[in-house]
Amino acid sequence: MSSDLGRAKNLAQAPLLRTTRQLAVILTLSFLFVSGGLVYWQIAKADDLLAHPSNVRLAIYSEGIQRGGIYDRNGKVLAISKVATDIDGTIKYERSYPYEDMCEPWLGFVSAKYGSTGLESIREKTLLGLTGGPWLDMLKREFSDHMKGYDVVLTVDAGLQKVAAEALKGKVGSAVVLDPKTGAVLALVSSPSFDPNSLEENWDGIITRENSPMVNHAFGLFPPGSVMKIMSSAALFSTEIDTGALYHCSGSTVVNGQTISEQNANGHGWVNYDLALAYSCNTYFAEKGLQAGQEALKRTTDDFGFGAQIPFDLPVNRSAIVRTAFPGDSMSDNLLASSYFGQGEVMVSSFHMALVVAAVANEGKMMSPYLVERVLGFNQMPIEVSEPKVWRQPLSPDQANKIKGAMIVAVKEGTAQNGRIPWVTVAAKTGSAEPGGATEAHAWYAAFAPAENPQVVVVVLVENGGSGGQTAAPIGKKIMEEALTKKGGGI
Amino acid sequence: MTVKSFLNTVLLRCLALVALGVGWGTLFLQGRTDLSQLSYLGVFAGLIILGMVLEFFGHSRGDSLIFSVVLMIMCIGLVFVTRVDAELASRQLIWAAIGIVLYYGVVFGLKDYRRLGNYSFIWGLLALVLLIITLVFGVTTGGATRWLEFGGFTVQPEEMVKVCALLFLASYLNANRELLSIGNTQVGPFSLPGRQVIGPFLLLMALVMGFLAAQKSLGTAMVFFFLFVLLMYLVTGRKLYLVSSLPLAAICSGLGYLLFSHVRVRVDTWINPWPEATGGGFQISQSLFAISAGGLFGTGLGQGVAAYKVPVAETDFIFAVVAEETGFVGAMALIALFVILIVRCFIVSMRSVDRFGQILAGGIGILVAVETLVILAGVLKLFPLTGLVLPWVSYGGNSLILHLILLGLMTNMSNMSATVWPGVLVRGGEGA
Repeated sequence: MSSDLGRAKNLAQAPLLRTTRQLAVILTLSFLFVSGGLVYWQIAKADDLLAHPSNVRLAIYSEGIQRGGIYDRNGKVLAISKVATDIDGTIKYERSYPYEDMCEPWLGFVSAKYGSTGLESIREKTLLGLTGGPWLDMLKREFSDHMKGYDVVLTVDAGLQKVAAEALKGKVGSAVVLDPKTGAVLALVSSPSFDPNSLEENWDGIITRENSPMVNHAFGLFPPGSVMKIMSSAALFSTEIDTGALYHCSGSTVVNGQTISEQNANGHGWVNYDLALAYSCNTYFAEKGLQAGQEALKRTTDDFGFGAQIPFDLPVNRSAIVRTAFPGDSMSDNLLASSYFGQGEVMVSSFHMALVVAAVANEGKMMSPYLVERVLGFNQMPIEVSEPKVWRQPLSPDQANKIKGAMIVAVKEGTAQNGRIPWVTVAAKTGSAEPGGATEAHAWYAAFAPAENPQVVVVVLVENGGSGGQTAAPIGKKIMEEALTKKGGGI
Repeated sequence: MTVKSFLNTVLLRCLALVALGVGWGTLFLQGRTDLSQLSYLGVFAGLIILGMVLEFFGHSRGDSLIFSVVLMIMCIGLVFVTRVDAELASRQLIWAAIGIVLYYGVVFGLKDYRRLGNYSFIWGLLALVLLIITLVFGVTTGGATRWLEFGGFTVQPEEMVKVCALLFLASYLNANRELLSIGNTQVGPFSLPGRQVIGPFLLLMALVMGFLAAQKSLGTAMVFFFLFVLLMYLVTGRKLYLVSSLPLAAICSGLGYLLFSHVRVRVDTWINPWPEATGGGFQISQSLFAISAGGLFGTGLGQGVAAYKVPVAETDFIFAVVAEETGFVGAMALIALFVILIVRCFIVSMRSVDRFGQILAGGIGILVAVETLVILAGVLKLFPLTGLVLPWVSYGGNSLILHLILLGLMTNMSNMSATVWPGVLVRGGEGA
């Protein structure tokens, strides 16, 4: 009886049953789709959103977490969080920087009031232990009442950093020391700097102080002046131009109605490529550059990473050979000639210049620079270790050796003689870049040593410091000596 | 109701009450609520227990799981409304108590729901009158005119409109199904229903959506659009209705975008909320921050940030609070409860003794599904955000009471089919 009824009922309602089932399926699938959104935000994008500047959670979470320390390559403390108990007995942590202003602004700071900057900001989640750990560590955190972040060990050598920072004290500028074979940053100085320990008290003074202590001067862009000739050399080598031929420098040359003269207005006489670089002969690079053309310069600087984002722990401004480039734009002869000796519109950071020199030192291979050596988990076992990586290869080993040879001559008898160190062969290039206007030139010094087996690259830039050979080279020499001593002592 | 299924019901409902108790206790220990709320909780729990006794002795034979699932959803909602604002939770508990009384009133008081199908045009008219009254006498809050004020109470007629519209649609579609499916006028290759047949449907649809747009209740207008179109498809099975609704939807949303600046803001911040994380995109970006902070297991009840950082956390964004504090696991559980509920609604529809009941039950299922999907998709940035509540979870007496009344109808229909067709199980096979 009841089955007959059921059949009759089903027949009468059959079409509705079909669409009802369809809708049930479609709506259930829609819920599945919405659940997909849940997976996307809660699992896939959780880390990104946590780091968003408008999200207050990181700041709230971090109050209860003992932030990991930041150490130099030898374990010296650069930043550490110590327990400081509040009046009402709640545990609070205090961040301190034993080396004060030595590593700023790149090391950064953490402040409840002003947020965080520099490495402290970029490695925030590592330092708070919120990411990157093995599953077991994450689980341990869940059940531990003492929340601790991960320790970060840098490639920087605090002793060398100190020498470099002191050498630049009182000056405005930057110094970069790299290991050309690995890309490890051994020292990175930006001057002036500030003391992060007393940041909140001195905030107004710091942000209004002259020459922007919060801006990293090693990452800012400056005209390179004659250190550009390292890259110009590569551009010349990439063409059919015979760089072995002799060239007569009379002290000035005329390009398109404009007179280009040497820095001291004296001619260098008969020079070959080596001597032209060693004496920093502008007319040589202007004339040869015009022959080589715009394409060669553009291609070569592209190879050296101009216009590209340097793969580094911290954001470095992109270098450029022209201010604004539209596809198909061509440079005037005057601009092209002056670009070849580092004037015109060429802009480069001292950090990028250190990579350029490192490529010459490392047989043409430019390594990716890195600052974080390793991250240590709770039991001090490394959970992240940096491996040296080639970023690009702008030069062949032959081309690199040719430039190296000329840079050795520059130290022996050229403009970089102030960089000479008696017990080791140094290869270097100086630059005195006209910033325009009536201001002093930016003094550049870019060097590596020992020339036979390069261990250290040093680049120094003293803004408005005058002549590279006179101002920057002695500073660079001091840093180089310290770096090589350390290297000998097993940096 | 057999003893076995009664025990199942007792188990599930007590589980829901225990969850409410544990959640409330946790919040109490955190100092987020106080003991004065216990009397409200007691009344609520008492009504649930009384209801179970009533179901047992009233020989209720329908699907008791539907109310159990909704009770679980409601208890989660009560815990999280308490989490956001304990004072609102006390009021919500009063609304819930009234809603439960009305629910049982409909379940046991409504002798035969089929009589409701005789007044098709009265329901339609009532819906329109309610909307016109709101537009004329309504109070404007948050840019939308959707409230009527009586003394200290505010009434949201558009919730009542949902019941009227559903009853109109069910009775109208039931009466005109054949003509709507087959058509009596040839237009090109299509056989369409004539003006007299489809006219009332289109007219009501246009008027309801027009009035809602004029009140700037665009989220509700969208829910009605889906309800009209999907229910039409459910009844006629003609894909033509679905396909022809697409350009209509495009025109409506295009008009909305051009006419209303807040629609433009909603759409723009939907496409890219981040640059405006402190401006127009504040709500949605805070919602996403909250949801993403939940991770797999959540921050724990009372430990999240969303409850005081996300605007209107107790209504539109209650799901963000749930997702932050109970994580993916908790949020998925809530979604799963809604899926179970909706599937059960469709099963009631398929088992229904008559076509009116079938359409009405299907319509309630579609309504709840669409409401839930639109607000969840909005909070998860899958769809532009609209001001809608999550049924039974968000704070708000109107929505809570109305949805409990609809649920009463559902249980009533389920009881009816279990009485008239004992032992018949529609397993979904055509002519099975």
